[in-house]
Amino acid sequence: MSASLPSLGYGLGLRSEYYQQILEQSPAVDWFEVISENYLVQGGKALYYLDAIAERYPLVMHGVSLSIGGPHALDTDYLKQIKQLAERIQPAWISDHLCWSRGNAHQLHDLLPLPYTEESLYHVAGRVRQVQDVLQRPLVLENVSSYVRAKADDFTEWEFLNALAHLTGCQLLLDVNNVYVSSRNHGFDAWTFIRNLPPESIRQLHLAGHMDYGDYVVDTHDHPVCDPVWALYQQTLEHLGPVSTLLERDDHFPPFEELLTELSKARELGATALARRALCA
Amino acid sequence: MRLTDWQLAFEQHLLSETQIANSGFAATLLGGPTLDVETGLAIYHNAYLSRLQEVLRHDFGAIWYWLGDDEFAALTEAYVRRYPSAHYSLRWLGERFAAFILEHLVAGQSAPLAELARLEWAFTLAFDAPQGQPLTLNDMAQLPPEAWPGLQVTLAPSVQQLLCRFNTLAIWRASKAESDFPDSQALAPAHICLVWRHQNVCHYRSLEPAEMCALAGMVTTGWNFSELCSALAVTFGEGAPLQAVTWLKQWVQDGLLQRRVP
Repeated sequence: MSASLPSLGYGLGLRSEYYQQILEQSPAVDWFEVISENYLVQGGKALYYLDAIAERYPLVMHGVSLSIGGPHALDTDYLKQIKQLAERIQPAWISDHLCWSRGNAHQLHDLLPLPYTEESLYHVAGRVRQVQDVLQRPLVLENVSSYVRAKADDFTEWEFLNALAHLTGCQLLLDVNNVYVSSRNHGFDAWTFIRNLPPESIRQLHLAGHMDYGDYVVDTHDHPVCDPVWALYQQTLEHLGPVSTLLERDDHFPPFEELLTELSKARELGATALARRALCA
Repeated sequence: MRLTDWQLAFEQHLLSETQIANSGFAATLLGGPTLDVETGLAIYHNAYLSRLQEVLRHDFGAIWYWLGDDEFAALTEAYVRRYPSAHYSLRWLGERFAAFILEHLVAGQSAPLAELARLEWAFTLAFDAPQGQPLTLNDMAQLPPEAWPGLQVTLAPSVQQLLCRFNTLAIWRASKAESDFPDSQALAPAHICLVWRHQNVCHYRSLEPAEMCALAGMVTTGWNFSELCSALAVTFGEGAPLQAVTWLKQWVQDGLLQRRVP
């Protein structure tokens, strides 16, 4: 079994803290993922650096505000701006999250979980098709961490993702850390989640850190990747083959060199996993 | 429960003042082996408020420094309860903060604080405003002599104008330097402060009344350079053209101006 989508290699999240070093040092990072909303502005430093970095590195757009499962109508103005940004920087793909982030009346600015029901599936599938029609490309959706789940679930999360990919042709951003976080919080087996996803739909992987409170785990993106997530990552690559891998850090930003060191670790562990895969082929 | 009803209940939980969820909504949920529903919902409830407050701490750092952690937290919680976010981008969360301060606090406290909020918001607006095409000294050097009298300009898109009735700039500077605050004082007369972005860096400057009148004459009234010189002659006499050129050069160097499109 192998992923059919070509890999960009090993990337980092583009954050303003590191703009200058990226331009001055041209670090050995294969690609950068940008938070789309940070660049839906009319001018200023962020766009200046984005344009400069887009000339040197492949970019991918990652949004947090699409609210693909929300109860409101899709925000066509937002989608238009996403499309314009894509025309500007030509990302390899555009992703967001399988979640809702806007309620009936207000923006909630969180990646809120959906009930995995048939009603949700057809609601989300219709909206994914709408988005794909506007963007003229497959939408890539990420699994989110969660702290509650609905009793009404008809599907497991991985079954829901499978069905959504099947119905819409959307692709998946598999966040290995989020699988780990949710598996701890909800008591499912993380590997069962990953091995049951459709390999041919997996466009990208995310790696990140979290806060472990013992009884539960919170997805914070403010720590290095922990050993169980590294192990799960290796198992995932051994199963899928090469997949674009992104190291995320959204808070407690370390010196850039520390992130590069952590990215090197991802490369080394990834290479080992892929070598094991080759041996077993 | 239908999806939209379930989402409405979830939204009401996030927006409520207590992290204890409505029992009917909580009954639709499952926890995990060691994470109960109540704790799971509290994680979402706390994350909602703390995420918004973090954005406001970033955008209104001087007010945070002035009020301290507890007062700032109380003020920002009241703000996001009164005006929940309406824009997909958190960049706009603080848009109504200055107006809210005036509504929420007693007048004696609110006026200087709201003015500081307007100053900090002006920096946010200047930070990512459209670039426009600011005039440069090189543009001016290439202007043929016959074009000078009719030269008309407007403000570059990033320029924000703020009427300061208090020593807000001194308070803002103290917060940036993390030094002791001066006492809040009313200014007599009030002055105009400009905040703008030039070459990707935000700047600010207070203008004396005479300079502000000259600038407003050009960018608001629409004077051309010749009319500016005429207006300045009332005060500066024969020195008016020199004063006009001095100010114009300063404004261009600062990146404040662009050509007015006829």
